[in-house]
Amino acid sequence: MLRFGETVTVLDGGMGSELEKLGFTGTPEDLNVTRPDVIQAIHRSYSCADCVMTNTFGLNPIKYKGKYTIKELAEKAVENARAAGKKVLFDIGPTGAMLQPLGTLTFDEAYAAFAEVVEITKDIVDGYVAETFSDLYEIKACILAIKEHSDKPVFATMTFDSTGRTLTGSTPEIVANTLEGLGVDALGVNCSAGPKELESVVMRLLACSSVPIMVKPNRGLPVLKNGKTEYVLDIEEFDYYIKKFIDCGVAIVGGCCGTTPEFIKRISRYRGRKVKRRRIARATIINSATKAVNIDGVKICGERLNPTGKKKLKQALLDGNYDYLIDEAVAQAEAGADILDLNVGLPQLDEKAVMAEACRRIQEYVDLPLQIDSSDKNAVEAGARYYSGIPLINSVNGDDAVMDAIFPIAKKYGAVVLGLTMDGNGVPKTAKERFLIAKRIVERAEEYGIPRSKIMIDTLVVTASAEQKLVKETVDALRLVQRLGVKTALGVSNVSFGLPNRGLLNKTFLTMAMACGLNMPIMNPLDGEMVGAVKAFAVLSGEDINAEKYIDIFKDYTGAFSALRTAEPEHIAASSLYDCIKKGIKNQAAQLCENELETKDAMTVVNDILIAALQEVGRLYDSGKLFLPQLVASAEAAKCAFEAVTAKLPKGAAKREKIMLATVKGDVHDIGKNIVKVVLQSYGYEVIDLGKDVAVQAVAQAYLKHKPHYIGLSALMTTTVKSMEETIRVLRQTGCDRPIFAGGAVLNGEIAKRIGADYYTKDALALVKALENLK
Amino acid sequence: MNTSKLIKQIYAYLGFHSLQKNAETDKLIAQCLDELKGIAHFRYTYKYFQTPPEFLTHSPYKEYLKGCSGVFLSVMTLGAEADAKIKFYSRTDAAKALVFDACASAYLEYLSDEYEKGLGDNLSYRFCPGYGGSDVCDLKFIFGLVKPEKIGVTLNSSNYMLPSKSMAGIIAVGVGAEKSCKSCVISAHCEYLKRGEKCYGSEKR
Repeated sequence: MLRFGETVTVLDGGMGSELEKLGFTGTPEDLNVTRPDVIQAIHRSYSCADCVMTNTFGLNPIKYKGKYTIKELAEKAVENARAAGKKVLFDIGPTGAMLQPLGTLTFDEAYAAFAEVVEITKDIVDGYVAETFSDLYEIKACILAIKEHSDKPVFATMTFDSTGRTLTGSTPEIVANTLEGLGVDALGVNCSAGPKELESVVMRLLACSSVPIMVKPNRGLPVLKNGKTEYVLDIEEFDYYIKKFIDCGVAIVGGCCGTTPEFIKRISRYRGRKVKRRRIARATIINSATKAVNIDGVKICGERLNPTGKKKLKQALLDGNYDYLIDEAVAQAEAGADILDLNVGLPQLDEKAVMAEACRRIQEYVDLPLQIDSSDKNAVEAGARYYSGIPLINSVNGDDAVMDAIFPIAKKYGAVVLGLTMDGNGVPKTAKERFLIAKRIVERAEEYGIPRSKIMIDTLVVTASAEQKLVKETVDALRLVQRLGVKTALGVSNVSFGLPNRGLLNKTFLTMAMACGLNMPIMNPLDGEMVGAVKAFAVLSGEDINAEKYIDIFKDYTGAFSALRTAEPEHIAASSLYDCIKKGIKNQAAQLCENELETKDAMTVVNDILIAALQEVGRLYDSGKLFLPQLVASAEAAKCAFEAVTAKLPKGAAKREKIMLATVKGDVHDIGKNIVKVVLQSYGYEVIDLGKDVAVQAVAQAYLKHKPHYIGLSALMTTTVKSMEETIRVLRQTGCDRPIFAGGAVLNGEIAKRIGADYYTKDALALVKALENLK
Repeated sequence: MNTSKLIKQIYAYLGFHSLQKNAETDKLIAQCLDELKGIAHFRYTYKYFQTPPEFLTHSPYKEYLKGCSGVFLSVMTLGAEADAKIKFYSRTDAAKALVFDACASAYLEYLSDEYEKGLGDNLSYRFCPGYGGSDVCDLKFIFGLVKPEKIGVTLNSSNYMLPSKSMAGIIAVGVGAEKSCKSCVISAHCEYLKRGEKCYGSEKR
C-alpha cells in the first residue's frame, strides 16, 4: 500500500500537451489502444517521478464518445502506464456535463459513471487521482464512487481561478473541509494556472487542512504566439515555486498542462524529503458548496423547516410541494439565518426519499449549509449523501444504539454531529449529569475517528412553565460542556411553552444562554427581536468588531425592527391598495389589503381593487407605457394581497383554478416561466410549478396527481421544442384533455399548433387573457 | 467602464426600448450591477485558427468569414454565481430577478467586448451559432475545439450552455464584418425591427 504525507512524493507532468507536441489531435484516450507505443514512451519519460498517472482523463461513459469500450481503454491505459516501472495512479477527470442544480446531470448519474471506471480498475492500479474538477458536488460523487468500490488511496484536486475560487464558487477552505471530510488521502489543486498564480490557493489549503496537500500546476499561463497558445514558463521559475510549496508543507507535487519530463526531472530532486509538519487549529465548520459557516461566536440555525406543529409545512410535505419548502428556506436566508435545519419526518412519508429530494431542491436556491434533522438513519444518510458540502447531522444522544447508527454515516461524509445530552433514561436533571452524557458522546465519536471539532452538544431546553428550576441547569450545562472542546446548540424557543408573551421569555433566555457560551441557537430567524438579540450580543461580546454589522443592520432604525429586509426604496409609499398594486410595492400590500378587508368583503376587494389595479397595469403594459419589471413588481404585490384575502376566507371558499407549469426537458432557462407564474398567482390562480428541465414522464405523472385545469409549457430554444412536442404527446396519451398552452422565445402560433398545443400565448398577460376567455 | 452603453443595453433587454427610463428601475439596475460586480467571475477562453475549421466552411459562416486571415473561436462566462443569484431572486423578488438577469446578460456582453479588444486589431464582431440562419447546434463544434470546461462552461444535450450566462463566438481576423439584420433568422418577425431598432444596441437604425 502506498504511503503519502511523510516524505515528498513527485508525480508526473503533462500528458495532453506532450501528445499535442507530437502532433496528435482527437481523443487522447483512444491512443491507449491505437498508439500504445507513444503513450508508453511518454510514461517512460516520466520515470523520474514516484508515480505516473494513466492517460484516462476523459475516460468515463458520459464524456467518452469514441469507438472503444471503457473497459478496453482503461485496462490498456493501466498497462501502458506500467511501462514506466512506477506506481500507477488512475486518472479520473470530470464528466464534462454540469450537475444539477447548475446543469441537468444527476448526482447518481455522475456517480454511476465514475463507479463503472473504478470497478474495472480497482485491482490493477495503485491509487486514484480525481483531478481538474471544478464542481464540488461532482468531485464528491467521484470520491464516493472510488471509496465505495475500491480500498486504494484517493487523491482529489480541483481547479481554481485567479480569484481563488473553483469555477463553481468554492473557496480553498470549503474544498479542503469537504474533501478532508470525505476521507481523501491527499487534496489540492491542479491545472488552473502556473505555480505563481496558485501560490495563494496553496497557502490557504496548507493553512486549513491536515491531510497531505498536492499541487500540480500548469507551466504558467499560456500566451498567444504566432497564432498558437504556448506555455513559456522556464524550469527555474517552476522549480522555485515547487520548492517554496514544499518548504511550506506541500507533500505531493507534479506538473499539469505544458510541463514536460524536464520539469519533472528537475523537481524529482525533492523526492523523499521529509514533509514539513503543520499545526492546524481544528475549527467546527459546516459548509455548502459556496458558503462555509465556522461555528464560532453565535450562529443562527433556522428552525422553520420542521413540520412539528406547522400545519402548512406538513401539508406541503404530504403534497410533495417543494416550492413551499424553498420559500421557507429563502425567507430564513433573507432574514439572516446562517444554517437551516431540515426535518421532513412524517409517518406517511418515505423520509429517505423526501430528505434527498428536499436537500437537492433547497440547495438550488439557498447557499446556506444544512442541518440534516432526522431520527431515521436512512434519511440521515440520504441527506448527507445528496448534500453538496459538509452538513450538520441532528442528532445522536447518549444511547449506544443511536451513536452506532449515526457515527459511521458522519464519519463517511465528514459531517458534524449534534449530540443531545439525554439517553434511554430521558433528560437528566442536573448540569453535571448532562455533561457526563456529552463526555460519553465525545469519547464514543473519537472511537469512530470523529474528532471533537466535529461534535456539537445540545444541553436541551426544558419548558420554564413545567420545570422552572431546570432552566438554570441547561445553561450551567452549556458552560460545563465547553470544557470538552465542543461547540454548543440549543432549541431556545422551547423554553416558553405554556406561558404568555413567549417572545419576551425566548429573547431573555437566548441572551442568558449566549452569555453562557451558546454557539448555535436553533430558532425562528423571522423573529426580528430574536435576531436583534443575537446581533446585539455580537457587539457586546466583541465578536462584531467596531459594531460594523450591527450598524449596517440598524442604521435606519426608527423603532420598529423587522428581520425581513425591505426590498422597496423607502421613499415610495402607497396611498391605497390600488395604488400599491399599481406601483408594485410588495411589502405594503398585505397590510393595505387587511385594512380594506376591515370595511369591505373579500370578493369586493378582489374584484374592485386587485383585479381592477392589475387590469390597469396590464393596459399600461400593452400600450407600452409600463414595462416588464414594473408589471412583475405589480404582480408580486397583488399576489401578497391575494394571499391576505385568502387567509380571511373560510377554508375551501377560495377554490381556485389550478394551472400546472413546466419548462420542458433539456431546457434550463426558466425566467419567462417564473414571470408567468407570478402573474398567474397575482390573478388568483393556483400554480403548480414543476420547475425546469422536467422529464416528459414527470409532467404526465404530475398531471395525473394534480389534475390541473390547464397546463402551460415553456421552451426557449429550437432544440427543446421537440421536447415540448414529446411532452404534449405523452400528456395526451395519459388521457389529458385539458387545454395546453405553449410559450417561449422560439414559439409562435403555427409551431404551437404543429406540436399539438391548444394555444400559443406570447407573454404572461396574454395567457391570463386567454384563460379568462375560456371561462 | 462605459456604464452608459451598458445601461442602454440593459434597458433594451428589459424591453424599455425608446421609452423613458424611470428612477425606480435606474436604482434597481444600479443595485443589481453593484451586486453582479461582486459575485460574477468573468472568464474567457479561445483558440485561434489560421484556417477555419471544417464546420465554418459552410453557409452562413463562409460568407461571414470571407477574406479573413484567421479566426478566433471563443467562449466566455460570468460563472455559476450569477445564475445562483438570479435563482434566489426569482423566489424573493421576481422583478429584481428579471432586472438582474438583464444586467447579467448585458454585463457579459460588455466584458466580452472589452476582452476582445486585446485580441488584436481589425476583428469582426462576434458571430454566435444561432445568428443569421446558422444552427445553434454548431456550438458543439466550438466546444469540441475550445474545450471551455476549463473555464467551467459545459453544453447540455439540448445545446444549452451552462452556466446560462455564457456565450460562444466566432471572430474573423482581417475582415471588418459588421452586424447586420439582413441575414438574421428572425428578421421577418423581429420585434426590434418592427420598431425600427436593432437588438445589438437600442439605437435607431
